[in-house]
Amino acid sequence: MSKIFDYYAILGVDPKAEATAIRIAFEALQNSFPPAERDRARNADYQRLVNAYEVLSDPVRRATYDSLLVETTMVDLDIALTLSRDKIEVSDTEQRLYLLVDIRPPKQSSGQQLPLNLCLVIDRSTSMQGRRLDAVRAAVELVIEKLTPSDVLSIVSFSDRAEVVASAQPLSHKPGILRGLHAIEASGGTEIYQGLAAGVKELRQSPLAEYSNHLILLTDGHTYGDDKQCLELAARTAVDGIGITAFGIGSDWNDQFLDQLVAPSGGQSGFIEQPKSVVQKLQESITGMGTVYAQNMRLQRSFPDFLSLEYGYKIVPFAQPLVLDDSVIRLGNVEGRSRLAFLLEMNIRPQTTERRLSIPINLVADIPARQMQQQTFNQNVRVNVLKNAQMQEPPEPIVEAVRMLNMYRMNERVWEDVEAGELEVAARRMRHLTTRLLEAGEPQLAQQANFEAERILQAGTMSLDGRKKLKFGTRALVTRTTYFDNDDND
Amino acid sequence: MIRCIECGTNQYIGALFCTECGAFLVAQISKGKTTILPFSEFAVHAPPPPLTKEELETAVTPRQVTFVIPSSRRRLQLELQDEIRVGRADTETIPELDLSPDDGAGKGVSRLHASIKSVKKGIVLIDLDSTNGTMLNTYRLPPNRPYPLKNGDEIRFGDLLTHIFID
Repeated sequence: MSKIFDYYAILGVDPKAEATAIRIAFEALQNSFPPAERDRARNADYQRLVNAYEVLSDPVRRATYDSLLVETTMVDLDIALTLSRDKIEVSDTEQRLYLLVDIRPPKQSSGQQLPLNLCLVIDRSTSMQGRRLDAVRAAVELVIEKLTPSDVLSIVSFSDRAEVVASAQPLSHKPGILRGLHAIEASGGTEIYQGLAAGVKELRQSPLAEYSNHLILLTDGHTYGDDKQCLELAARTAVDGIGITAFGIGSDWNDQFLDQLVAPSGGQSGFIEQPKSVVQKLQESITGMGTVYAQNMRLQRSFPDFLSLEYGYKIVPFAQPLVLDDSVIRLGNVEGRSRLAFLLEMNIRPQTTERRLSIPINLVADIPARQMQQQTFNQNVRVNVLKNAQMQEPPEPIVEAVRMLNMYRMNERVWEDVEAGELEVAARRMRHLTTRLLEAGEPQLAQQANFEAERILQAGTMSLDGRKKLKFGTRALVTRTTYFDNDDND
Repeated sequence: MIRCIECGTNQYIGALFCTECGAFLVAQISKGKTTILPFSEFAVHAPPPPLTKEELETAVTPRQVTFVIPSSRRRLQLELQDEIRVGRADTETIPELDLSPDDGAGKGVSRLHASIKSVKKGIVLIDLDSTNGTMLNTYRLPPNRPYPLKNGDEIRFGDLLTHIFID
């Protein structure tokens, strides 16, 4: 992609801004440079600013620039970067900074509607018998109704071995799929790898590049001894563009494992408390699959030395902690009409002099509609280090997101405390969480937290059920805030 | 570093919420204290008001009390003359509210767990120094002290949640 500076972004004005607004914006930004730094030849940032103003303040040059911009935005994503504050103090200690990254597909594009290549991998171990398996069957029938004839569906069931219930086939053969579905019988243990491997094999029957490929795992138990194999498989398949979604039913499954399993593809892991909610969860997760604008979006973890990334959290289209221990951070897909938003929590190393810091946000994605692989989208966000940085009101969306995420992490820390045997600390933290949940208007979660605080003191641990309710309940809070409610479809 | 004025722990400059207690740190800096949000009247650990001796005198009129136990979907109505004992039946005594059918043993209900009494002030709940304790809404009762009950209160005997409705 040829490099065209976004002059409007440099000046922080709307592309429809009038000449006066552009002049005011320029003067304000110019004044933010100390006089000594206003040297176009030596200061690249200042030069970019002046260039932007020279082009946009001249009607003829601006018109030419606008016409170029239209062409480039066709392949561009709309990426908005919001910092918790853009001025920080000169300080001899580390400081915290939050960055919200909000990515939207270009307005004109509706994304390419790729047919779905979907594999449902269903746990049929003994514990699934009865209501759980019945609910899964009902949910799958509903999913089949939602799919179109060009979509490909396969179903695999597994216990300590896997069976192909319905091999990968276009949806025109519904009766066969339904027969297989109803013949699933519960018995045996849980070896997730068996199911995953068979599922991936079914997905690979179709040419992956021509489909939006997803594997949905539904399980209710711990896998035995094959965790590592599962994670290796998930990492390999993510590279080939297979997304993994995983749902745990009931309370006796390993949430940390499912989180790790979906991480390589930027997928979702979820908790299904009651068998009857299987239908709803499954339906939610397949909505939007297929209308993909950008696939396999990832953030390069190449930040300058002055910054350390502490935590990352995907907020839209679903809430999921990001895995940061790789050179790229996997973010999943930008679905047709929806956004992809995530929050980064960063620490800025001690800054002893006034300066400007530039934080690069380098994203890479494949754009199937344009047959473009590894398309890069690079932007920078700037922070001024000042001797007397005024207190700034942080932007509301960031405050709300951090408020909710902080509750999720308080709950995670309680668990760490419990595992370390620090029961009093754990219970105190859980009581704090109770208060915060009440403040946030979540009386049910608050009640659960309060109950678990007591239980930690009395029984030395949390209930399995309560632990999952709180973990996934607090995780989902962020998507309920006004700014990240995914119901708005504009 | 900055200090959270609610719990006293050190937090990074620029942090928005306290990692320990969850307080909003920006409100502390700009306004001197945390914003009071709706629901804070729920004050989780504040005890219900204590009762005077006179208020605790036994009442004469009998009351109808309904217990709803969500986990076992059981609902039962009892007449409260002067006392309803709560616990699990054994060979010697059968408490008026016997929680054995609700998996009382599994949920940590003591044989003689608590007592509900009708007094001048209204109806009170007393934990009888049970093994796993009694919670009234979000407050954990100290043993052997009466606390007033309201219609619709939630009581936990050990791990067993019970709603109480008073006519």
